[in-house]
Parts: sequence; structure tokens; C-alpha cells
Amino acid sequence: MEVRFRSLFLVVLALLNSSSLMAQEPVKAGTLIEPKVTRQDINEANIDSENFELGLLVGVISIEDFSSSPLFGLRAAYHINEDFFIEATYGQAEAGETSFEVLSGGAPFLTEEERDYSFYNVSFGYNLNGETFFTDNLVFNSATYFTLGAGSTDFGGDERFTVSLGAGYRLLLTDYMALHFTLRDHLFNSELIGEEKTTHNIEYGFSATFFF
Amino acid sequence: MLCLRLKSGGHKVKMAFQNPFNFRCLLLVCMWLCTTSALSEELIQAKVVEPYIEMHSGPAGGYPVIHVAAKGEWITVLKRRTSWFKIITADEIQGWVKQDDLHLTESSQGQPVKLFDGSFASFSERDIEFGMLGGSFEGIPSLTIFADWVATDNISAEVSVTQALGDLSESQYFLVKAQHTTFPEWRLSPYISLGVGQIRTQPKANLVQSGDEARTSDLYAVGLGVRYYLAKNFLVKLEYNNLQALTSRDENEEIEEWKLGFAVYF
Repeated sequence: MEVRFRSLFLVVLALLNSSSLMAQEPVKAGTLIEPKVTRQDINEANIDSENFELGLLVGVISIEDFSSSPLFGLRAAYHINEDFFIEATYGQAEAGETSFEVLSGGAPFLTEEERDYSFYNVSFGYNLNGETFFTDNLVFNSATYFTLGAGSTDFGGDERFTVSLGAGYRLLLTDYMALHFTLRDHLFNSELIGEEKTTHNIEYGFSATFFF
Repeated sequence: MLCLRLKSGGHKVKMAFQNPFNFRCLLLVCMWLCTTSALSEELIQAKVVEPYIEMHSGPAGGYPVIHVAAKGEWITVLKRRTSWFKIITADEIQGWVKQDDLHLTESSQGQPVKLFDGSFASFSERDIEFGMLGGSFEGIPSLTIFADWVATDNISAEVSVTQALGDLSESQYFLVKAQHTTFPEWRLSPYISLGVGQIRTQPKANLVQSGDEARTSDLYAVGLGVRYYLAKNFLVKLEYNNLQALTSRDENEEIEEWKLGFAVYF
């Protein structure tokens, strides 16, 4: 259908052009020619600007002392320029049991509700732009990137200030669709199993995003 | 309008289909609607007026140059990513040109193409800023997300949400602020702000004792800050805020806060 509209549109355009050509009169010296067709000047708003990226995230997160769990989330980004971007991520997982809980079979450390693990972070990212050659003819634009961010993790009944360090690979299947493979470390202080310590929670993520 | 008519009067549509002339009219109106919308949205064309412009395989300077559009050639702009523009030439070759190169073209009316480029000259034309600040909220780490509406060169309105997460308690607050930038034409420019909002403070779960639960108070803020135009589309901000939480206790709570962060603008 779209093809039909396009072709029709082109026909209309061609007609417009030819009629404006026919309407032209021979130029006489000293006469002022008033343009009969006034075309729109370039309107910036008509240029489709695609600096935002939005998508879904799935992965696995290893929650320190609480085994690994599947992770689901959302990822949004704004590209400031070709090198830098800002990224916001939200994710949810459910923590497993500590090895102590598994081995002793005793009372659990956390209630079911407290095992819900969720986080958000806002990061600053730097791109190393490049291309990926799957074969000689199958080439995609891609980027390896590094992120540094801060946010919060809600786990064990409390929210904790969280710093996140990450690296990722973005494969642009088309101009507006990308696949991401990310590896990220979420660092926060926790005293859940005794003394306070800095925990490292490693996330392996896969996400599909769209630019708009 | 067309759809409404179709829904409300099945009878009428039937008549229109039975009469081929009416049907054609309907079709023409429909097509006219489609083409006018296409005309207003598509075909942003420009003519190259310098010897040539380089077309890259991707929207960054590192991508190789795959083609050049020569002087006199007409190009159509398809889309924009940061300061790169995807174009298609009359020979249907696609590539990305940087904004500086696109400014070497002119429109069908002979006007040089000049688009918002995030430079300091176009900085004063911005309408919206948004960004993130991180800092210290009475010594505990805090994170703020904000959005500004730039009403005039000097005055802007801001909405911000902050979360401060300490070992003993966590606080969340929002503020609605009015800001005044005294010297908007300076790259490094100070500003003052006044704001109102609400704060919610909750002690940590492992410290909760009876009677010590989450409380919400009204909040007043006085702030002082500087912003620095660092690069295209990018600002750095440093802020100090003095907050007064109107508690239900005998004394109001005074909170001092330092924040450093960045903002982007449109």
C-alpha cells in the first residue's frame, strides 16, 4: 500500500514540476521574475531525529552471597553526540538462597518479599564506534562502549546507593534497531549477612532497543 | 472525518460504493490526505554548493567515506542522529554527513541550510534542559534527576527528584524551582534558585524501632549554582542548596547539599 502511495505521490510531484516548468515564460532583460510556486524552506522539525533509544533487557545477575537469578528490565538512552550517551536502566530479579541456607536447611535470612531485587541506575557512556564484518559482504555498524553510573538497589528491605561499572557491545542491525550485549558490575554496601562490606553484583545482559 | 462517516452511516458508504463516481471522489480525498501529509513530512532537499561533501558509512567521524556528493547535486535528508544526517543522493546512494557539511548546502529557495547545532551561539535558543546531579546530602550520597524549562534567557523553571541513601536512613524529595541566571551570555554563569517541595524520610529497615517510621514534610529550598557550557549540547552544573524541612517537631530541619552533574539541552 505504501509503495502505491509513494508512486502516486511521485506522479503528483512530477506533475507539479512539469506544470511549473510549462508555466515559465521566456526571460526578458530587466523583468523581475516572481516565483509562482513557493516551496517550503527546510524545516528542522521535519527531519526525523533519532537520538533516543528504548528497549527491553534480559539477563542473569549474580547477587553476591545470594546465587544467580534471571533478570528482566528496561533500558533507555539518549545520545548526546557520536561519542557520548546517557543511559538509564531499570531491572528486576529475585534473589536465591545463600549457600549457608542451602547447606544448613535452617531459617532463611530473608523473607520472600525481601528477596525481590530491583535496581535503577543512570550512567554516562563512551562509544568506541566501529564496524563488525560477519562475512565480506555482511557488515553492520557497531560500537563497544563503557559506562559509569550511579543509582539505587532495593534489596533485603532497604535501598542502597549503588555505583555501576559496565562495558557493552551494540550491534546496529538497521539504523534504528540495535542489539546490546552488556556486562555490568553493581557495587553497593551491604550488611545482610553480618559485617558491612562492598558487594559486587555482576550482570550479564542482552537487550534489543529501538532508536526514535 | 472519513472514518467517522464510515462508522456512522454504513448506508451512505454502500451508496458511495454503488455509485462509481462517488467512490472515486472518496478515493481521491483519501489520497489527497495521504499525499499532503507526505508532502509536509518527507522530502527535505538541499543542493550542494561547495565542491563536495563527504558521505560516511555511519553516523560518526571514524566511519569510512563511501561517496561524495558533488557541487550542484541535490540531496534528500532522511534522518538525524546527534549531529549526523543520513542523506540520499539523486543516484540513490545513502550515507551519513556531518552537520558542518550539511551547512555547505542550500535549500530550494537558495537559503543556506542552518540547523540547530548545539553550539554556544545556538545555546540561548534552547527550550528544555535535562540532566543528572550526584552529590552529598548532609554527608550521604544523593542522586538527582531534573528537567528545566527555559522560559526566557534569564528565567527557567525546574522540576527535580532526589534520592539520598545513607546507612541510617533514606530520603526522597521533589522540588519545583524557579531559577534566575544573571549573565546568560557567559559560558560560565552563576544562577540562584528558590523552590518548594516535599521530603520523605525513612529509617533503614534494620534500625526500625517502634514509633520511628517514615515521615513526610514540606520543604523549602534556596540554592546557588554555576553552569558551564562544556561542549556541544552539554553543560556541567555545580549546585549548593540550603533546604528547610518543616517538621512536626519543635525545630525545623536544616539540610545542606552539594551537587555536581551534567545537563543536555534541546
